[in-house]
Amino acid sequence: MSERRPRIVIRDLAKTFREGGREVAAVQDVSVTIREQEFVAIVGPSGCGKSTILNMIGGLVAPSAGTVEIDGVRVAGRVPGNVGYVFQKDTVFPWRTVARNIAIGLEYRGVARTEQARRVRDAIALAGLEGFEEAFPATLSGGMRQRVALMRTLVVEPEILLMDEPFGALDTHTKLDLHAELLALWEARHQTVVFVTHDLSEAITLADRIVVMTRRPGRVKLVHDVALPRPRDVIKLRETDDYAHEYGRIWHVLGEEFAGRA
Amino acid sequence: MTRADHRRVLLWRLAILAALLVAWEWLTGIKAISRTPGLYWIDPFFISRPSAILARFAYLASGQVRLTIWQMALSTVQSTLWGFLVGVSTGFAAGLVLGRHERLARVFEPYIVAFNSLPRIALVPLITMIFGFGVLAKIVLAWTIVFFIVFFNTFQGARSVDADLIHSARFLGASDRQVMRTVIVPSALAWTFASLTPSISFALIGVVVGEFLGGESGGGLGYLIIQSLGTLNAADMMVALISLGVIGIVMALAIKQLEMRLLRWRPEYRGRA
Ligand SMILES: Nc1ncnc2c1ncn2[C@@H]1O[C@H](COP(=O)(O)OP(=O)(O)O)[C@@H](O)[C@H]1O
Ligand SMILES: [Mg+2]
Repeated sequence: MSERRPRIVIRDLAKTFREGGREVAAVQDVSVTIREQEFVAIVGPSGCGKSTILNMIGGLVAPSAGTVEIDGVRVAGRVPGNVGYVFQKDTVFPWRTVARNIAIGLEYRGVARTEQARRVRDAIALAGLEGFEEAFPATLSGGMRQRVALMRTLVVEPEILLMDEPFGALDTHTKLDLHAELLALWEARHQTVVFVTHDLSEAITLADRIVVMTRRPGRVKLVHDVALPRPRDVIKLRETDDYAHEYGRIWHVLGEEFAGRA
Repeated sequence: MTRADHRRVLLWRLAILAALLVAWEWLTGIKAISRTPGLYWIDPFFISRPSAILARFAYLASGQVRLTIWQMALSTVQSTLWGFLVGVSTGFAAGLVLGRHERLARVFEPYIVAFNSLPRIALVPLITMIFGFGVLAKIVLAWTIVFFIVFFNTFQGARSVDADLIHSARFLGASDRQVMRTVIVPSALAWTFASLTPSISFALIGVVVGEFLGGESGGGLGYLIIQSLGTLNAADMMVALISLGVIGIVMALAIKQLEMRLLRWRPEYRGRA
């Protein structure tokens, strides 16, 4: 793993928000290097600055200090190319059908109609959305909408994926389905992924490496390599001793953060 | 609502209309003092009677008059549609631009508020002075009203577009123009549509007020109303009013249809268009 080239380099990153004259330190001293094809999860209690970090990587929020570099180029105030972002909030366009939502990125890039149709059809098949091509998002379940959001992002084949609690609003069962689907998609392409979550089991199931954050202001508390073999079966994985072992180790550290003083 | 329900409502509506017409015709026929001519409990001189209105309508619709009711209605409808179209497109464009440019909006705000708080009726003489006694003045008057209604709604809509929708479009590779076309416009449209039904009514008001002053060259149903006031002809006035009512309803229904087609993605329109 360590031979792979670094893709996202975060150095001494900090963010302070000014809120009605009061300064809120959201993130402090975060340094992480994420390498090619690596699946990294950022875990921490709610409000610890996970989204803020992701937004700084994606160029949506300017850091107060420190830098983010993607492929050696400093991210500054604009959305970097080659990066896909799946938001926590539902950002599927409600006025477009499922098929036209998935096609939108290809449309932006001026991909030919026939090619668009072919790739959308593949994506719909991959996500199990057959029969819903012409449905509007308002008629879909939360899980289906998040599938659309995921496929819409993946269909333009980004090499780097930023995901902010994409499955946070889903029930456990749907969540596990989507974990399996995400892992299958990732096994096929090995994008570089930064996956934010407050759900430790989700992080262990998906990631190669877990960055555990402290409570606000968010700092890196622990970086943990997940020693679970791939490809992983999201259901069976949870019954293994290795999984329990990983969980126990991180839970102990995370528990300190949830419990109060570190 | 079931089909039978629908039918029952329709039946009741027709029954009420028939009852009103019969009562109107009957009450305006009863004399207050039986032998004195011209004294009625409810005087048809002021509100006319259905039979008289029908007769006047037939006369105004025939070729015997210089300006038929059809020509007048057409003139009113055309001016209203023009005022509406010009008002909606300019109001929509201005709302989008100012809604997305905070600085520009702050610069223009006092002018917009000041102009909008002018009672539009007060502008009629000035508009007539500038644009003459023709069709143009009516359209301009309708436009000054419709523009602001649509502008304010679109402005709000363009400002309240979810930032994360815009961000996700950017990550998917959208240029500024593509963000405008695929995110801001459709998102603002829902707000704009809310303003279209009042807009068409106000366009009609603007046109009729314009016609009050416009004289025969502008034609229209407003002209018929003013003319009937001159001749104290309640029947003609009723013909004009009923025609305006019908025109208003048809236009509002047409807009509702368009709205259901264009906003069919919204859950409240699901399966209706
Ligand atoms: N735009 C903002 N303005 C002011 N404060 C903010 C803003 N965004 C986030 N914060 C604050 O920064 C902290 C971290 O937020 P966030 O990154 O969303 O946390 P997380 O995603 O881990 O739940 C929170 O206390 C939040 O209130
Ligand atoms: Mg968050």
